[in-house]
This record gives sequence, C-alpha cells and structure tokens, in this order.
Amino acid sequence: MDWIYWVLLAAVAICFVSFTYHFIRLVRLGRPRDLSRKAGNTGPAIVYSFTSAMSPANKESAFMHLPTYTAGIIFHIATFVSLATLVLILADVPLSHVFRMLLVSTAFAGSVSGLAILVKRIVDKKLRTLSNPDDYISNLLVTVFQLLTGLALLFDSLYPAYLLLTALLFLYMPVGKLKHIIYFFAARYHLGFFYGWRNVWPPR
Amino acid sequence: MVEARGLKEPKVRIIMLRGRMEPQINYFLMEKVSKEKIEAGLEVLQALKDSKLITQLNSCVHCGLCADTCLYYLTTGDERLIPARKVDIVASIYKRYCTFTGKIAPKLVNARDLDDETIREMVDLLYGACTMCGRCVKHCSIGVDIEYVIRAGREMLARMDYVPASLQATVNSALESGNNMAISDEDFLDTIEWMEEEMQDELDDTNASIPINQPGKDVLYTLNPREPKFFPLSIAAMAKVFHAAGESWTLSTNMYDVTNYAYFSGNPDHGRVIAQRMFDEMSKMEAKKLVLAECGHGIRANRWEGPNYIGEKFPETITSVELIADYIKGGRIKTDKNKTEAIVTLHDPCNLVRSGGIVNEQRYILNHTVKNFVEMTPHGTDNFCCGGGGGQLAMSEYNERRLKIAEIKAEQIRKTGAKIVATPCHNCVDQLSQINVTYKLNVQIKTIAEIVADALVF
Repeated sequence: MDWIYWVLLAAVAICFVSFTYHFIRLVRLGRPRDLSRKAGNTGPAIVYSFTSAMSPANKESAFMHLPTYTAGIIFHIATFVSLATLVLILADVPLSHVFRMLLVSTAFAGSVSGLAILVKRIVDKKLRTLSNPDDYISNLLVTVFQLLTGLALLFDSLYPAYLLLTALLFLYMPVGKLKHIIYFFAARYHLGFFYGWRNVWPPR
Repeated sequence: MVEARGLKEPKVRIIMLRGRMEPQINYFLMEKVSKEKIEAGLEVLQALKDSKLITQLNSCVHCGLCADTCLYYLTTGDERLIPARKVDIVASIYKRYCTFTGKIAPKLVNARDLDDETIREMVDLLYGACTMCGRCVKHCSIGVDIEYVIRAGREMLARMDYVPASLQATVNSALESGNNMAISDEDFLDTIEWMEEEMQDELDDTNASIPINQPGKDVLYTLNPREPKFFPLSIAAMAKVFHAAGESWTLSTNMYDVTNYAYFSGNPDHGRVIAQRMFDEMSKMEAKKLVLAECGHGIRANRWEGPNYIGEKFPETITSVELIADYIKGGRIKTDKNKTEAIVTLHDPCNLVRSGGIVNEQRYILNHTVKNFVEMTPHGTDNFCCGGGGGQLAMSEYNERRLKIAEIKAEQIRKTGAKIVATPCHNCVDQLSQINVTYKLNVQIKTIAEIVADALVF
C-alpha cells in the first residue's frame, strides 16, 4: 500500500512543479504595458470580472445555456471539494458522518454533471468538431476522480483505486487543458484589466 | 511606390473560388510557404512581451458556448466559424511549436504544423470570418480575449505576407498617399471649400468656416476619408456643430485620416507608420487636443492602440461623440429635439462601445436631439456588430458572407420600427447602407454629427 502513496506523492510533486513553472512565468511576464491614457479603474473591473461578469444575468453563454452552465458550476465546485477531500483523507482527519455524506453527495453530483458534459461533447456535433482527445480525457479523468472520491469515502476497498486514479489525474493535469486551473484566473484578470482600463467595466 | 518606401508588396495572391451559395470560401495559395515565412509567423507566438497571449492560448476549454454570441455561426450554422475554432487554430500552432505536449503528442491536443493547409484555414477564419467585434469575448465562459488571439493570428499572417490583397491595398493607399482612399490634396481642398460654401449659404453666415492647416487651435479634427470621398455633408454637419459651439479648431491636409487599416491587417510596422503620422501632425499643429471623427476602429487605433504602436503617450485624444455630449451638457450648443420626429434607433459600433467604453454619451446626445429614440435589442456592450468590422468592408473577397451575417442587424433594426438609424461610425454607415438596400429596410442612416446638426438652434 505504501508504494501507492509514493506514486501519488510523485504525481503531485510533478504537477506542483509544472504549475509553479506556469505561474512564475505568468507573473514574470506580467501584464501588458499600455501607453494609452487610462479611462477607468482597473481594480473594480478586475473584481467585477471575477464576480458579476460571471453571473448568468451578465453572460449570454450562461443564461442561454442554463443547464450546461449549472452542470459546469457543480462540476467545478465538486472538483475543488474533491481535491480538499483528498487532503483530508491523506491527513487522516476524522470526518463526522454528516460531513462525510455531504462530501459524498457533492462528489457524486459533480461526477453526474461531468458525465452530462461529456455526453454533450460526444453527442453535440458542434462540440464534437471542436474537441480533441485531450478534451475527452480531461473530462473523463476529473469525472472518475469525483466518482471515486465519493466511493472511497463509502467503501474502504476502493481506496487503492482512488489513490491510483488521483495520481494519474495529477500526472495528466499539466499535459492538457486542465492547466486552465491556473490560466482561468489569469484570463479573467486580463479581461478585467482590459475592460477596466477602457472604462467598459464595471458597467455604469 | 510601395517598395520605394521600403515596404513589401504581398507576394502571394489569393484567388477565391466560390462554389456554393452558402458563405464558404476556398483559397489556393499559389506558392508553398517557405521556412523563412514560417519562422516569421512563429515569431509572434515565441517573442512574448507579456503574459496576455500565453494566457489566452492556454485558457480555452472548448465549451463551445461562444458559438451563440457570434454573427457568423448564428447566421450560417457552420461549426467551422465558432469563435473557439478561431482561437484553436492559433492555439494549435502555439502548442505544436511552443509546448512539450504539442511537440511529443500533437494529436492529443490537436497541435498543428504551420503549413499551407493551416495557413489557408487561418486566412479564411481570421480575416474572412471575424469582424473582431469582441462580442464573444464578453460572453466567453472563461474570459478568453478571443479578439486578441485573432489579432495575434492576423499578425502572424501579415508577417508571412498573407494579408488579403484588397485589405493590403487599403493599407498601402494610406501608407503611400496619407489617406486610405488616396484622395489628392487638390480634391480634398476642393471638397472642403465646397462644403464651406454650402454651410455659409445654409447658415447665411460668411463667418462659418472650415479651417485648414491653422496651427495653435484647441482642436485638431480628423475625418474618415469616406467623408470627403462619398459623404461630404457629414463634414459640413460637424463643421456646423463646431461653428455653433464657437470652437477653435482646424483640419490638416497633411494628416486627417482617422483610420488605420493596419490594425485589421495585423502588420504592426504599418500600424506604427500611420499612428506616428497622426502623432507628428498633432505636434506640428500644436493643437491642445486631437478629436477623432466618428469611426469605431479609427478611434480604437488612435485612442487605444496608437500610443502602443509608437511607444509614446498621445496628447489628449477624445472622440467627437464625447465632445458633442460635452457641448450639450455645457450649454455650448442648443438643440431642439422636436426637429426630428421620426423614430430613431442607435447602432453601437463595437470598437467605440464594447472595446472603448463610450456607451452613454451617444445616448445622451440622441435624447437631446431627437423626439423618439428607441434602443435596439440587445444594445450597448451587448450589441451585435453590423458585419462591417474587422476590415470586412475593405475585403471584397468576403462580400457575400459579410452581407449574409448582416441578417441579425437587419432584424434588430426592423424590430425597432425606426426610420432613422444613427451610428457614430462611418464604417458602420457604409455597412448599414448596404444592409438597408439588401434587406429592404427603408431607413435613413446618419452619423451622430448629422443628427445634431439637424437639431441645432442658432
């Protein structure tokens, strides 16, 4: 059993080093140097970019696709909850029954959402033509990770499978689009900065 | 002439074959792309100035939700034209040459070689299927600045000499003659003189003038060359507004062109030459501020991109829309909104509004100059592009597609019941005029200055 922990630890370390590289590169490169005269406030615009601008009320991609948007939100919340659960499990933190069931429910809800998104990607011609193998692999890996998180909390026998799958996920994260765990934040920062500089955001 | 100025003519001519009614265009590139060109194109992706480009190229998750924000997809249903596909073609090259995964397992992440086939697709998608309106950017689930990626892709193509010939010709006209329509000084001065006489007759005031080349004025005003060439009355309209406000202003024969089509071609060197001319003229004329005419991309190219092209801050630069709104607010001009009783709607130019933050000023003006102002749905920063942006009006290769995507704008206008469409952009005026004919809307298209001039009370 110990070797699985070592495999997982190695995978986490590789992922951490890779993401640290990406993060440091982003920070070192910095934001664009804009010589135009600033018209608005970038600070509030960046806050808006991460908050209200993401809400269905302000984003067509959300309010025109509420089921997909909802599934996406649940999927991403469940991903972070599952990652937090991994820390709790590895740290051997005792979990109350209610808290454990809450984690299980969240993880299962996330995996159902992830499966729905995956099915949509397979069925919808528009999405299929847009997708590459990484899109399917990334979606599937995270969905199964959530599913196994929930199952491992219920059944100890699935614990080794859960740890191995988690190791695989961490190894794969720096490879493809799961890197957006870092770049998403950079993208919203840049967008808020751009619109804030030009006084487009926050809306007046 | 172009080569005499140290610039290269596009060596590769692009021939269009249109085999179907739907807006799909195929290209033959008559030369095989050289290694030198590939290196020149890749330089855009490899020489990172900041973190913005790599952020955009690593962020798209292919959710496809941008599709329904885009004119091209909405009007054609063609999956190739989804904004994410346009990001993907640039990102796929980045992955192939700049990422570990793309180098060792290209198929896993759809990393593509920069070859003839990829270039052909890039030209079609990035030049021929995007108005750079930025509507997809605002609604992207991640926040990818898709338009920024399109610009990077166009810059790659420009460095490889694959700018569509018609668009490059427009840039070359500006580089050679000082304005994108190659209007001679003589013709320009004749037009200005004619408009000055018209204005004096109309106002019955010989003091009403259109000053030319007068240094030390408060305002150096610019024009879209479409005005002296096709719509001289819009020059007279703005001159009337200046006259009513008692403004100290001048035009310059040396540099009046507000446009910068190099912003659309993607060639930063050409963009720099044109922006530098505007900056130099501003210094030479010793004007207190530069006032940009009603031209969405011209405003963007000067107000926002100009300083970055030349690496130096511009003097105070504002739009004529802001200036007119200030005139009304400050009581420098008086208007009577009852002079225009017809229903008026407003088309928001993307570069002015969504990418420029000028949202309320034009509405303030219309609320003071027309009796019945109605908004389109959607409007403001959510407005749909007219279809003429991104250099589309300069690229005759894509005329059929450009008018097809205008279906949405035509329907927006029709639903308002308006008889007049106002828009602070001469490029949009051109496209809206063509939409008016194509979709039989039976409306008048006017600039904001024309609307204001009609409402002036002396």
